[in-house]
Amino acid sequence: MSALVMSAGSFARRRTRTAAWSLLAAALLVLLTGVALGTGQVRISAWDALRALAGQGEPGNVLVVQQFRAPRVVSALIAGAGLAMAGSMLQRLFRNPLASPDTIGVTGGASFGAVLMLATGASAQLIPLAALGGGLLAALLLGGFAWRSKMAVTRLVLVGLAVQQGLAAAVNLMIVRFPAELASSAMQWTTGSLYGRTWTEVTIGGTAIALTAGAVALCQRRVAVLDLGDDSAGGLGLTPGRDRLWLLLLGITLASLAAALTGPVAFVALAVPHLVRLLAGPPTLGTLGLTALTGAVLLLSADLLVLHVIPVHGLPVGAVTATLGAPWLLVLMIRQGRLPQRSS
Amino acid sequence: MTTPATDDLASGDAASGDLASVDAAAGAADAAAADTSGDRPGDRPANRLAAHGLGLRYGDRTVVDGLDLELPGGAVTAIVGPNACGKSTLLRGLVRLLDPAAGTVTLDGSDIHRMPARALAKRMGLLPQQPVTPEGITVEALVRLGRYPHQRMLSPWSKADQAAVEDALARTGTAELRDQQVDRLSGGQRQRAWIALALAQDTELLLLDEPTTFLDLRHQLDVLDLVADLHAEAGRTVVMVLHDLGQAARYADHLVVLKDGRLAAAGAPSDVLTAELVERVFQVPCRVVPDPETGTPLVVPRARSRAAR
Repeated sequence: MSALVMSAGSFARRRTRTAAWSLLAAALLVLLTGVALGTGQVRISAWDALRALAGQGEPGNVLVVQQFRAPRVVSALIAGAGLAMAGSMLQRLFRNPLASPDTIGVTGGASFGAVLMLATGASAQLIPLAALGGGLLAALLLGGFAWRSKMAVTRLVLVGLAVQQGLAAAVNLMIVRFPAELASSAMQWTTGSLYGRTWTEVTIGGTAIALTAGAVALCQRRVAVLDLGDDSAGGLGLTPGRDRLWLLLLGITLASLAAALTGPVAFVALAVPHLVRLLAGPPTLGTLGLTALTGAVLLLSADLLVLHVIPVHGLPVGAVTATLGAPWLLVLMIRQGRLPQRSS
Repeated sequence: MTTPATDDLASGDAASGDLASVDAAAGAADAAAADTSGDRPGDRPANRLAAHGLGLRYGDRTVVDGLDLELPGGAVTAIVGPNACGKSTLLRGLVRLLDPAAGTVTLDGSDIHRMPARALAKRMGLLPQQPVTPEGITVEALVRLGRYPHQRMLSPWSKADQAAVEDALARTGTAELRDQQVDRLSGGQRQRAWIALALAQDTELLLLDEPTTFLDLRHQLDVLDLVADLHAEAGRTVVMVLHDLGQAARYADHLVVLKDGRLAAAGAPSDVLTAELVERVFQVPCRVVPDPETGTPLVVPRARSRAAR
């Protein structure tokens, strides 16, 4: 009997832990949003900044917050959430903890699209669209080269690396031939940055990311079944090759949309799923929400550092996420290795 | 021998009452005979898997060639044969993990490649040879995934789902392990957790690909006894690939012997498993004696000739 009670408690424990961390992340998100909206040349308290976002309070504050600061903050939140969810999906589909938009070609594709658009001198407003197109091009290449092997996971990993390297090389080739000024803005874009976001971009990008994220959430059971290996998934009524292709398209679309909004910010997609696993255990629908929240918090914090802490003008946020993220992830991994096995 | 279906079921029940596997084997031989004799009356599906001119290929390599086979419904079938004879490939073909290069596979007469994947998954469960255990997943979370074919995209977890999971945990003796991580269990426990997943799928057919590989003798017998119980108590039709001929003869009602992707023999173990067949298929000179425990055929390889030493 006591074993039964204990087991019931243990089953609920993971959920409780996920809920607690989600609550904490949500609180942090609101707080950081307030701080981000309030900080700058005109200083506003976090609370007033949040009110100004809702159109309350001093008209001057409302203008600064709504027109200048909010688009950037909201893009950071949306893109962070999208990248983190995409990373979690890709790591599971590839059955590889290193899978992320940076290693499967999405980053290369999005950069390729954007830089190509810069090279043709087309309107800057078309860059996000070109980045999205480039990301989807990577997906197409991935599917095209791996389809014959029924999207076998080992093959996907290799094809992904090749696609990424090929597209990155093409980007470099173009940048080398650019005049200095164009090259600098290309570098800025391909590292991932939040400068000069407009409400139009945020609204369109945000809607698309929300819809795709919803679809990702709806497909969680299917992803969980694919986690069991292709044979088991086949026995449970999936068609592994076809299902993986569709889910991969969904994950890559999400990553590409985020990249279209902010450029391919490094590391969020890679690190957040690992962090969430350490905090809340193996992936479920609940941890997917926590993943989105954590990604949003992480990217917004990095942007706050870029804007207000690090005294380098025009530093792209992607440079910070990568520089700070790498050692931090290492520390987490080492600590996890040292911890005594808590469960069981 | 034309045992009516009702008698057939009754004999199955009687066998389940007894613990001795002798009865199960003997009763099941009847079942197999009854099944091949004609269609069962009534609404219950016969759960009869069949291959017609089946060819299976990996790339350019033909593994199974022109195979005609009928597996009795309501019985335990073991597929045996030497390494690389195509027995696992055949099993993969029977559950649609491989598309046939030629021929068809039918379940009660309908082509499984024309059935919706989910509908098929409600009738046939599979334990693959090397399933992937997701990192950190608990036994209960794993077993719950067995309910996937029964769930719609937005349907919440139902009472029927939970009942099926509880039943699967209880039958496999994994209920106390439900909160343990599968990747920290012993090989035998892990195999039982995976069988529980297939049970939660609640299918009338259960296919197992070498379920005893990597297990020590004690756990091999545990798994095979579990399968025998599932057949006897829950009336599942079982098809499994096995290595050990003695175990196959003990636990199966129907034996399928493959050699080089072709059918070497099929039928009740006592009819099929002869010294002549074992020598022909496995190239092992042997004697076949009655198993002292169950009376089923037992293969004893001949000692190398004393003169040679």
